[in-house]
Amino acid sequence: MSDGGGKYVVEFLKEKEKEKEYRLDKKKNKASGNDDFAQAIARIAVAQVCESLGYQSFQQSALDALSDVGVRYIRDIGKTAMSCANLANRNECNVFDVIQGLEDLGSVQGFSGASDINHCLSGSGVVRDIIQYVDKAEEFPFAYSFPNFPVVKERKLYPSFAQMGENPPDEHIPGWLPKFPDPETLDLNSRDKKEAELAVEGRIEERHMMVDRSLLNLQQKLICNRLEAGLAYEPGDAAKAQRAVESNPFLAPPLQFEEKEVSLPVLPVKLSYEATRIRQNHAVLENHVSVLEPRAPATEDIRTQLCKSIEDRRKVPLNGRTTVKFKLGSRRKCSSTAMSLRNEGVEKISLWFGVDRDGKDDKKRRAEQILGENMENSQDITSVN
Amino acid sequence: MNAQSSQQQPNDGRHDDDAALTDFLASLMDYTPTIPDELVEHYLAKSGFQCPDVRLTRLVAVATQKFIADVATDALQYCKARQSAVVKDKRDKQQKDKRLILTMEDLSKALQEYGVNVKHQDYFADSPSAGLDPVARDE
Repeated sequence: MSDGGGKYVVEFLKEKEKEKEYRLDKKKNKASGNDDFAQAIARIAVAQVCESLGYQSFQQSALDALSDVGVRYIRDIGKTAMSCANLANRNECNVFDVIQGLEDLGSVQGFSGASDINHCLSGSGVVRDIIQYVDKAEEFPFAYSFPNFPVVKERKLYPSFAQMGENPPDEHIPGWLPKFPDPETLDLNSRDKKEAELAVEGRIEERHMMVDRSLLNLQQKLICNRLEAGLAYEPGDAAKAQRAVESNPFLAPPLQFEEKEVSLPVLPVKLSYEATRIRQNHAVLENHVSVLEPRAPATEDIRTQLCKSIEDRRKVPLNGRTTVKFKLGSRRKCSSTAMSLRNEGVEKISLWFGVDRDGKDDKKRRAEQILGENMENSQDITSVN
Repeated sequence: MNAQSSQQQPNDGRHDDDAALTDFLASLMDYTPTIPDELVEHYLAKSGFQCPDVRLTRLVAVATQKFIADVATDALQYCKARQSAVVKDKRDKQQKDKRLILTMEDLSKALQEYGVNVKHQDYFADSPSAGLDPVARDE
């Protein structure tokens, strides 16, 4: 029985210890929330003031209470002064706000001239008392040097409506308050909205273009990320892209009526651009020569045309790309007349093209390879086109 | 408000007040209050006070120092009065009770006059570690 009692006592002590630790932890967490450091410094300052008055010792609880009251006094002055400044349509406090705050706080025990409601703040009894105190009291600097508080001393205020010379958007907002940010900064998704608007308007061509662009961007990204991405482009990838498009609520609806088309924008932007140029040129050619099929002069023409096209492309600024893409979208709509011929020609051109422009970088050449590959298994595409 | 007061008061007196206030604020630049500037700035910033002027911070520091000194002086008077009463009763304990100690008892009396009600219960222990034990035992 005695053993059991001993055990019980030990366990009880352990529990007590645990509880104590828990409470200390809790207290610590709480204290870290309310700034412990500043309170400790306030305690030292208050202790110094008490010492200067003739106190020899103190109870810890009394010192804590007094320092807490002192801190609350500071905060109350700040709060009252700030509300006074705001009442006077100002952002920053001045001396009179502080004096007003001091008078408010001193009204409990009263000061000379407090009965006169219209007294001037500069001659307030509170200020006179303070001046008297400063003259009388000895100067006790703070005993310790301590690191700087994390107080932003010179805060830059956002300019108010009045300073910017603007009128507040509504009547109930006073002019001294900080200005609202520009409305452009507020709608970050303005572009999304625009797209949504387009979708609502039902402009199929535009939406086509957007789908193409997004897919081309995706493709470009893939090429940038892994070198073989463009070459290893397969129906699986197309399905992935399809899924990506479908997951986007803005882009999904336009794809519903011709889903297979998505496999076409395999090409990166530059390449597709070139391809369209070539095809267009070739199409122009075909108008002339498709019946007769004199191959040699045709290629000559192609060569000249192509040179022109390259020069043209160099002249075209980057911004102009969108219009070209738009052509790509509209071109797709045209029926597939003489497609086999065209494809043959393009294949040849692309091969010749790859050989001719060996000065260009690898990326472009690879892109042309993709083009060739694309043309080889172009049966699907032609059917779609 | 200021315009009215200027009408009521003679102009000279108001000018004197202004000059006195200006001089006082200028003198605060050289005066270092016991309450450090950083502490006051910290708490003023917490309360939303907004002013880069050091003199205003010093003014608040001096005012707070005065307030604390007033409270502590009152408490000191209570302490002295209590001690003198004790001295009357028991002459032999004079040596021990001579020390001036800031106690919660005196402080709560002094603060009551300033509108702060501090009542500390009798069973409260002084140090935080001592204060934990009875509470833990109760539970």
